[in-house]
Amino acid sequence: MSCPKTQYLLQEYFSDELAPLTREELDRHLETCEFCNLELESLLFTQSNLQQWQDQRVPHWDRGLALFRQDHRAPKPNAGFWSPWQWIPTAASFAMLCLLLLNVNVVANEAGFSLAFGSQSSTQEVTQELQAQLDSLQASQRDEMQQLVIRMETRQDSNNIRLLQAVMDQSQRITTENFETMYTYFEDQRLTDLQDMRSAYQQLVDSDYETIRSLQQLVNYVGYADVVR
Amino acid sequence: MSLINEDEALIAAALNGSAYAWEKLVKRYEGKIYNQGLRLTGNPTDAMDLMQEVFLGVYRNLHRFRGDAKFSSWIFRIAHNKAIDLNRRKRLLSNQTSSLDQDEFSGFEALASGEKFEPENRLNKQQQNRRVMKMLAEIPMDQRLIVELKIFQSRTFDEIAQMQDISVNTVKTRFYAALKKLKVVSEENYVLP
Repeated sequence: MSCPKTQYLLQEYFSDELAPLTREELDRHLETCEFCNLELESLLFTQSNLQQWQDQRVPHWDRGLALFRQDHRAPKPNAGFWSPWQWIPTAASFAMLCLLLLNVNVVANEAGFSLAFGSQSSTQEVTQELQAQLDSLQASQRDEMQQLVIRMETRQDSNNIRLLQAVMDQSQRITTENFETMYTYFEDQRLTDLQDMRSAYQQLVDSDYETIRSLQQLVNYVGYADVVR
Repeated sequence: MSLINEDEALIAAALNGSAYAWEKLVKRYEGKIYNQGLRLTGNPTDAMDLMQEVFLGVYRNLHRFRGDAKFSSWIFRIAHNKAIDLNRRKRLLSNQTSSLDQDEFSGFEALASGEKFEPENRLNKQQQNRRVMKMLAEIPMDQRLIVELKIFQSRTFDEIAQMQDISVNTVKTRFYAALKKLKVVSEENYVLP
């Protein structure tokens, strides 16, 4: 059993936007036509089978990075034989060598020869000049040393005087303190002695008074005895 | 930042020489392109070749990408064209080697016979995908492309017609014919194991 409408209708069924009329026609036909219904179900089943696909992982690859880096590599600097940068150090070295050779001065004498750089002055002149410079330097150093010694002595004397003054002040202060201490001590001692003497005198007076009373009692007793007799 | 804007930013950076941007751009699409290649060629080796050719084409023509269309559409169009080219080359090669009676994509058999290509994947996933690839191998390339675009990339019949430069009715007819053929294969695979 087949249906002449199957292909047309099912092609339209899978269309993206089915017109309403076509949709109605399709639904109506599917309700009545068992063949088309079964055909649609099997096609949908097939479609669902295909949709069971699960994405697989991509095997490792370099993702074109080697080519990318090769194309985007920075251009190399010009490093040829006639590159100006290569010759600059050589030219500078050559210029320095020329300057050096032009300023060399060779002087030959009995002792041999001497090599000098710079101006063409003779050795003796140079020696005398150096000697004069040395003498003046020594003289200036000597004067400076003498001034320094005088300054040091002056400073030392003033320091000594100050030290002596300080020592004297210190000793004077100590002596004064000692005198004051002695004075205080003697004064205390004097007051103590005076008090002792006063108390001793008082005792003496008291004992004299006692003696007088005894004598008086004795006199009284003697007098009474005489009366009785 | 939306995905489209992010694509454009990555393209601009890659054009300025950023290898990192290029790698990121490739990583975003390599999975989809590789799986599309697997479904269209049925062979991991050919799928890799196809994917590399696609990205080489993208790289060579990246400066021509104007941004008036989505980058994803552009790259899938390149993949589509490369798949047709690859199929044509393979067919010519198989004609030259007088192996006309062999299957159009002998890679399916290689894939079905062993698991050496994806040893880390789970068996179920492999089996499902292998079954799908076996089904797709039973239909010709023009129908396979339409099934790929319609079912796996959810394109409309109008878009497919525009991409393949054929009429919408032809697309519908081919899709229906592909589904009918696939139905037979599916019934053999599932109903009558």
